[in-house]
Amino acid sequence: MKLTRRHFLAWAGLGALGAVACEGFGIREGELNIQSPVNLPEDLVRGKDNWYASLCRTCPSCEGILVRVMEGRAKKVQGNPLYPTNQGKSHARCEAGVQALYHPDRIPGAMRRGGNRGSGQFDPIDWEPQAMDTLIRQLNDRGSRAVMITRPNRGHLGLLTSRFANAVGAEHLNYEPVDNNAYRRAVKDVFQQDVLPDFDLDRANVILSFGADFLSTWISPTRWNRGFGEFRQGEGRDHRGTLYHVDSRFSMTAANADRWIPIRPGWEGHLAMSVAQVIIAEGLQGRTVDVDALLGEGGRALLDRFRPEDVVGRAGITPEIAGGDPVEFVRDIARKFATEGPSIAIAGGSAGAQSNGLFNVEAALLLNWLVDNVGSTGGVVPNPLGPWGSVPSTAQSASLVDFERLADQIRSGETRMLLLHNVDPVFGLPGSLKLRDAIVSAQDLFIVSFSPFIDDTTALADLLLPDRVYLEDWGDDIPDPGPGYQVAGIQQPVVNPLWELDPRSFPDVLLAAADGMGAGEDELPWRSYQAMLRESADSLFEMNRGSIEAATKEEFWTSLLRRGGWWDEAQGGPGGINPSRGLIREILERASEPTFAGFDGGSTLYLVPFSHNTLQDGDNAHLPWLQATPDPVTSITWQTWVELNDTTADRYGIREGDVVRIDSSQGSIRAIAYPNPATPPDIVSVPFGGGRRHGSAWATDRPGIESSNVAEILEPTRVAGPETLAWAGTKVTITRTDDSINLSKLEGNARAVEVGLSAAEEIIKTVAPGVK
Amino acid sequence: MLPLMVAGGIFTVIIGFVIVVLFISWFSNPPFGLGNAAAQPVDFPHTVHVEQHGIQCEFCHRNVTKGDGATVPAVEQCLFCHKDISGRDGEAQAEIAEVQRFFQDEEPINWERVHRVPDHVRFVHEAHIRFFTSDLDEEGVSGPRFDINGIEVSRPYTIAETCSICHGDVGNMEEVQPKDGQSLKMGTCLDCHRMNNVPTDCTVCHK
Repeated sequence: MKLTRRHFLAWAGLGALGAVACEGFGIREGELNIQSPVNLPEDLVRGKDNWYASLCRTCPSCEGILVRVMEGRAKKVQGNPLYPTNQGKSHARCEAGVQALYHPDRIPGAMRRGGNRGSGQFDPIDWEPQAMDTLIRQLNDRGSRAVMITRPNRGHLGLLTSRFANAVGAEHLNYEPVDNNAYRRAVKDVFQQDVLPDFDLDRANVILSFGADFLSTWISPTRWNRGFGEFRQGEGRDHRGTLYHVDSRFSMTAANADRWIPIRPGWEGHLAMSVAQVIIAEGLQGRTVDVDALLGEGGRALLDRFRPEDVVGRAGITPEIAGGDPVEFVRDIARKFATEGPSIAIAGGSAGAQSNGLFNVEAALLLNWLVDNVGSTGGVVPNPLGPWGSVPSTAQSASLVDFERLADQIRSGETRMLLLHNVDPVFGLPGSLKLRDAIVSAQDLFIVSFSPFIDDTTALADLLLPDRVYLEDWGDDIPDPGPGYQVAGIQQPVVNPLWELDPRSFPDVLLAAADGMGAGEDELPWRSYQAMLRESADSLFEMNRGSIEAATKEEFWTSLLRRGGWWDEAQGGPGGINPSRGLIREILERASEPTFAGFDGGSTLYLVPFSHNTLQDGDNAHLPWLQATPDPVTSITWQTWVELNDTTADRYGIREGDVVRIDSSQGSIRAIAYPNPATPPDIVSVPFGGGRRHGSAWATDRPGIESSNVAEILEPTRVAGPETLAWAGTKVTITRTDDSINLSKLEGNARAVEVGLSAAEEIIKTVAPGVK
Repeated sequence: MLPLMVAGGIFTVIIGFVIVVLFISWFSNPPFGLGNAAAQPVDFPHTVHVEQHGIQCEFCHRNVTKGDGATVPAVEQCLFCHKDISGRDGEAQAEIAEVQRFFQDEEPINWERVHRVPDHVRFVHEAHIRFFTSDLDEEGVSGPRFDINGIEVSRPYTIAETCSICHGDVGNMEEVQPKDGQSLKMGTCLDCHRMNNVPTDCTVCHK
């Protein structure tokens, strides 16, 4: 065959095609490699998993967890069945711990500010000597005018941080955006207890809850969810218990209640006192209750001002809500509470976040004394202090007054250094404090953040010293509330810290800094945080009691780590607690109506914010699993929504998905409308946790995702007494904008159709069990 | 005429490509090695470690009695001994120094695979080791058992003997190569399963 130019080109083309095909079908580089990893951790056996007990830190309840580790990587978190508070159960928040560990937005090593404050530009530096030298130099220069802000840490971290602050001359403030200070103060006043009590829901028959969303976010929800399961269908129970939930918002607890009472915000205490009045007036109190002692001199006359007929109208309990006569409805609740016990009254959440929040919570907790359930089966369970005298068993947030003072001190230049650990006050404090502006305009302020992630406050820092995340680090906890006896949980690193990020343990950095400064030699004698914990574990061993029997300290330590903690069921809370004389009169002297600063008038609505089920106050907003976890009531994910009543929405011409502007006298935010029949007509509700400005893309307000920070528009109203933020004490107006986007929610995607509604379906129904 | 020639050319190329693929797939053992393993990043003489010093297979291949893959050891495990043992001659010293460098630089070693089953096959080392190292009447071994070449295994093998059924006498190999003349194809597996009265359902081996 003659080879022509055309043939040559054709064969060359085919050859090239064949070469490409052969290359494309070839084996990828490395496909036939088998790798020897560098390190040989104990658990690096392929196909074999190892489980380690530790503690979860995604919420303050600090559940005991087990972490599955394979080949040196943490894979799965679940509840530790041995741990006394959560008993093997765990919240969805715990599951996301592994995502925090392997998060792509963790701060990669020590850094210092590279541009203007707030520009988000940071330059990497070495830990040694640059970062540590800078920290020590600044502490030497400014320590006496520094403020250290941490979470309210219990256990050894609480002890170490407060001692460090003392050693360097700094002020130490605890901070959490949605605090429980009113509840803590009420526990002190009503039960004379420093630590929070537990509730024996398992064996209760009636629960009367005021504002506390204890099945979703309030204090220790996993423990109480487990107890609530027993309350409903526990083994040996012959009937389901009865839950009354008094709350302005239709929360997770309201959704699970037998009767939800949507009260006007701030009137919970009045209703509780009304229940008390009925119990006493009808002589329904517990057999051993000394009513006269409880009432005190003049108490009865004060209490008689709270008869149901005097309260229900002002509290907004209408015949529609009561399903009949509201006065009789309240009396029925009181009778059932007093006669069908064991009964428990719980209060907190939005009830405590009003100007009269302390009165609301104390009035509700008082009911426990009337049915004599403090320290008894199915009632309130007092807790003991932790096993170590010097280690704090409880911690509470600083007041709003403290933070207002801090903002003023920053403005005046009196505060010259901030040390921040896992707190974001710029994001969480009310916008009215203008903390961000104060920091940005401060002339001589040095900020050190120990957070492993960028947040709104860390973005303004001068020095970033990223902490390890909890799955990489040591720690401990004394649960508050505990289960009714002494517990000390231990947190251990389940994986090696990610070497490429080079995080350093916050307490170890504090110890090294104190050592470098020559400060606190007596108060901070430990060479490491682990050594501090080990020393305390040795002292537990020497107590020779509790859940761990060991012959040596070494054996005790190993057993402690294997179980995830130590507990002593014989060391219960204090017995023989009695109410103080004249307690009812004392509480009633504090009684007041709620006040709302800012807007007023006919077009205003009560703003009742609430902790997000998984993001909580925004602390977990950077974790996409928790952003994508549907809210249990609305099923909404990712976005910030506003719950409002259907009729309210109609009045404003708002439909689901419309973007609504919410205004208070402090500013405005945007949120996506979620009209529904369960929100009371004069109320709007918005979750905390959205709208961060800096940091991980999952936490910030991205295009197409309405994510807003409701704290920006809160009035700086204080709870009388603890002077903490009354976060449910704001009134707002709403306006429809021209924008509308789809709500990202599961609800409504699959239609709910009752069987038999279709004519084609012929079914035969039977009668329900027990119906004749 | 020209279109016919082009079509003939395309057909020839496709057929040629298919033949080459089939040829390589069938005769390569391990795949694409045509009988010879590629050069390794570090010389690891099994003769020295196994034959001379008596280190057992499962000391380094830690998972072989525990799970699916036999696994190769971490570099750190080499350093158990080679922190102190630097080699008897210059060549050995250079190789050991290279291993130490991998460890110091925190660099993993990427070995070239010598034995490999396709991705859709699940081969569990642990089950096979257990089968041949058990006493008869234990672990479900009730009758006479045979290795993959039909040789009766009348007594419990050691782990090393079991490994050598498929991998050959690795302890005497300066450089690991596939067992001479040993097929490790599906037919080999099936024959052995049938001889030993072991299930041959697809899902026993295929994912």
